[in-house]
Amino acid sequence: MNYIKTIEELHEMLTNGEVTSEELVQDSLKKAHLVNDKCHAFVTLLDDAKGGFVTDDLLSGLPYGIKDNYSTKGILSTGSSNTLKDYVPFFSATAVLNLEKHNVIPIGKTAMDEFGMGGTGTTAHTGNILNPWDLKRMAGGSSSGSAASVAAGVYPFALGSDTGDSIRKPAAFCGIVGYKPTYGMISRYGLFPFASSLDHCGCLTRSVKDAAIVVDAMKGQDKNDLTSWDSSSIHLYDSLDGKVKGKKLFYIKEIVNMENYPDASSELKEHLDNFHKTLKLLEEEGVSVDEVSIDRDLINAIFSVYQCLSCAEATSNMSNLTGIIFGPRGEGKNINEMMKDHRTKGFSSLIKRRFVIGSYVLQKENQEKYFVNAQRVRRLIVDKMNELFQKYDALIMPVSTGPAPYIDGSKDEITKDNTTNLEEHLQIGNFGGFPSITIPNGFVSNLPVGINITGKCYDDVNVLNIAYALESKMPYKNQIAPLLKEEDYE
Amino acid sequence: MNKYKAVIGLEMHCEMKSNSKVFSSAENSYNDTPNANIRPIDMAFPGTLPTVNLECIRKALLMSLVLNCKQPEYMYFDRKNYYYPDLPKGYQITQMHDPVGVCGHITIEVDGEEKEVLIHDIHLEEDSASLDHYSTISLIDYNRAGVPLLELVTEPCFSSSKEAVMFLEYMRRCYQYCDVSEADTKKGQIRCDVNVSIMDEDATELGTKVEIKNINSFANVAAAIEYEIKRQSELKDAGRYDEVEQETRRFDEESGTTIRMRGKVDAIDYKYFVEPNIPKFKIDPAWLQEIKKTIPVLPRERKIKYIKDLGLTEYDANIIIKEKEYADYFEECVALGMNPKTVANYLTVQIIAYLNKEGITLKEFYLTPNLLKQIIEELEKGTISSKQAKEIFNKALLEKKEPKTYLEGTTQLSDEKVLEDIIIKILNNSQSQIEEYKNGKTNLFQYFVGQVMKETKGKANPNMVRDILTDKLK
Amino acid sequence: MHNFTKELVDDLADKLLIGLTDDENKLILNEFNIIDETMELITKIPNISEVTPMTHALDDQTYTPRADEKEESIKIEDILANCDFYEGREIKVPKVVGGE
Repeated sequence: MNYIKTIEELHEMLTNGEVTSEELVQDSLKKAHLVNDKCHAFVTLLDDAKGGFVTDDLLSGLPYGIKDNYSTKGILSTGSSNTLKDYVPFFSATAVLNLEKHNVIPIGKTAMDEFGMGGTGTTAHTGNILNPWDLKRMAGGSSSGSAASVAAGVYPFALGSDTGDSIRKPAAFCGIVGYKPTYGMISRYGLFPFASSLDHCGCLTRSVKDAAIVVDAMKGQDKNDLTSWDSSSIHLYDSLDGKVKGKKLFYIKEIVNMENYPDASSELKEHLDNFHKTLKLLEEEGVSVDEVSIDRDLINAIFSVYQCLSCAEATSNMSNLTGIIFGPRGEGKNINEMMKDHRTKGFSSLIKRRFVIGSYVLQKENQEKYFVNAQRVRRLIVDKMNELFQKYDALIMPVSTGPAPYIDGSKDEITKDNTTNLEEHLQIGNFGGFPSITIPNGFVSNLPVGINITGKCYDDVNVLNIAYALESKMPYKNQIAPLLKEEDYE
Repeated sequence: MNKYKAVIGLEMHCEMKSNSKVFSSAENSYNDTPNANIRPIDMAFPGTLPTVNLECIRKALLMSLVLNCKQPEYMYFDRKNYYYPDLPKGYQITQMHDPVGVCGHITIEVDGEEKEVLIHDIHLEEDSASLDHYSTISLIDYNRAGVPLLELVTEPCFSSSKEAVMFLEYMRRCYQYCDVSEADTKKGQIRCDVNVSIMDEDATELGTKVEIKNINSFANVAAAIEYEIKRQSELKDAGRYDEVEQETRRFDEESGTTIRMRGKVDAIDYKYFVEPNIPKFKIDPAWLQEIKKTIPVLPRERKIKYIKDLGLTEYDANIIIKEKEYADYFEECVALGMNPKTVANYLTVQIIAYLNKEGITLKEFYLTPNLLKQIIEELEKGTISSKQAKEIFNKALLEKKEPKTYLEGTTQLSDEKVLEDIIIKILNNSQSQIEEYKNGKTNLFQYFVGQVMKETKGKANPNMVRDILTDKLK
Repeated sequence: MHNFTKELVDDLADKLLIGLTDDENKLILNEFNIIDETMELITKIPNISEVTPMTHALDDQTYTPRADEKEESIKIEDILANCDFYEGREIKVPKVVGGE
């Protein structure tokens, strides 16, 4: 039987007896193994997982995946890092606990860029995570395994985290939906931190409605996370009505306009054309889309601001990884040598480089120029966005410069060329804690590409509704990558 | 003394009293069992986040007010980043940019003179874990990790070890008076950093500042300052002042000297930045006012009142303000109408001696002010002698019975009417002695007193007997 | 423009208790120059120094501090479960000498 269904459909199948939760879980595990063999999407597969109770809760009895930077009680949680390669936590992240109340069944922990740093899926300690649409391409990161497994049809949803674009970019590369709600709507307690002021929890699904259902279950104010807030009056799933007539959207000229890219590749051209075609679909629904101009200095600064802030916070956040209390103890004559050995062997090259940068920008003599100025530009960018959100319902932008790049030749180094702004603009959503969702909007070079909608804080319902309306105008809802053979789905 | 002027600044770290830790909900109490007061954040398990204890904010603001500091509109915390085995997160949550109080001042007394101490800032932070060292290993106990600390930083405004220690003593008392901390140095609840420089008497430019870290008793603070002044002065005398380096040293208790830890070039860059996991917290001015109202009268103000209004000697006043419980007890007694001097006398002599002997606190002391009143009142009235009072005091404490139970048997006969009747009766039977007395044999007065005592079995109030007899024999 | 050197990078890494290969060191130098270039541009934004730094994602957010109530300690088995070296109830390390 084909289980590539939406959550609502699966729920119906479960309640009318077409399938049992146990069958879904076993099917999911079977596919997970196949996907893992091809894409290295998992750190851990929970082969002992059993079907659960089915209630009138839409999520009850469904299998799902958890990104490996969520702390899961009694289940290996590595953050895809050698520093925690054997770490089995004694507590679960609040978001996971919230989901557990809905009788969902985790079947695996998904591989990722180490601790969420990186956007390629090439820094996991378990190997490169590959794109299920084309195994020579990257899945995008850092929620690479979650994106790849949902796109390959392992289960209807998986958890992700997003510090720069770590849910929304892999979602685009894998042709699925990636949603990070407003900062603090989902508690970060138990999420291994990357950059605390930018980190968001969220999910990867194959439809907007599914994303609403999952986040409804994950969210909630948490006494353990002071940055979480009371969203009990927000009901995402119940609020989806697809009514978008009269909504006003904008995109940023300095990033999207083709004139910015005189040497554009054919893929980039196709991608931007496709973006504009998608906007037409919205206009057909009575939505207006304006081209808005923003100070180019601010746009050009996004990437460096992100690097300064995220690297600085990361180097501090990961100072607890010393191998003293948890993690493999390093070798050395004294405790400093032991900590250094643990960290030198445990971290990937990328993370080490980012730490050095983060440490440099925080140094007393550099802090004002780099870190504090980055915080200032962050405010200028966020203020500008909030000003625009006074007038517009949401920002709509193409994700990346096209489909997923090839793994070969990707180094995930800090480089800069004239497409950087197009690659990095989703970080705006993290600067301001804005709700932001990526949905698939077509194909370039036979590979999926995505479009992103970002709105003002606490206005998640609006953002999801626009995405929902747009999704229904396109044929990509619940699409999966043709990775597994037809019989695997039966 | 020294021909150079010493300039000294202090940093005083004091562990606060609370049910739970400052950024963790683990219990805040000393525990003999290692790693028994632990919540996940105390050992920095991945994904844990800080929460902020309201009571710790309140107490920090209270001390900020006591020190006449300015409070910020919003409270933030900062991370102080460094690697050390006692710091599980790799950073300490503290306050650097917007501490709970800045630019304060407080007046203390040194040798009977007032001295205004300038406060740079006071901030709320967390303590580190404790390391137990053995011959080849160290063991880490995280019970103390996350315990609330208040760090008070003075301007370099002290000129002697005595001034510095008087300030520390006074602050220790303030912490206790405000119920912010037990402030017990023996339990390691107070730790100090000291910075010392010297300069020529007439110089205007400060000398090279040397910091001595982590001193655990006031006696050692004094010793470390003395040693540093001596060390620096000797180098200056010898024309080698350039050898005094801006550096961090530690105090070695055994040798009574300070030992170099690191110089300026090795100074740690703590890379402070605002703690992103704790949003801003608005300090509501109305709440601040409420907190202000709860500040108890501080020891210095009490002392002035005791001497000026209640007529105590400075000596007695000093003893009473030493502990808040003494002062509170004293004031309660006075409020019950007892004579301040009599109470002070009892408190500073009998009561404190008894507490010390029994090793108990005033809270555990059987004779509450109400019970003490039963003795003091009778003593004041003259119905018992001071010797009797002492006997009752001891008996009551020994048998844990109300003093009035012992008053029955010992109460003096002080009823004027009764005494007068007895005296008239005796005088009526002593006509010849009265005549002799009136003829000049005045020592017969004692004979009459003796007769009254005999008649009353010694219970007659001797003063009253004298008064009545004098009157009747006129 | 700053002069980033191999020594500077190694010193930074060492303070972070991280060892770097020569290749990693070289990469950092390249990456750093890119960031530095942009940050130079940022400093040129008019009145940038007057902008209040944004330290949190939700700038307007405040919180209610926790009531002073203690929660039960976590079990010692849980505390030590992921630790390679401990003795009794405590984490064991080679003797720590010198201060912070």
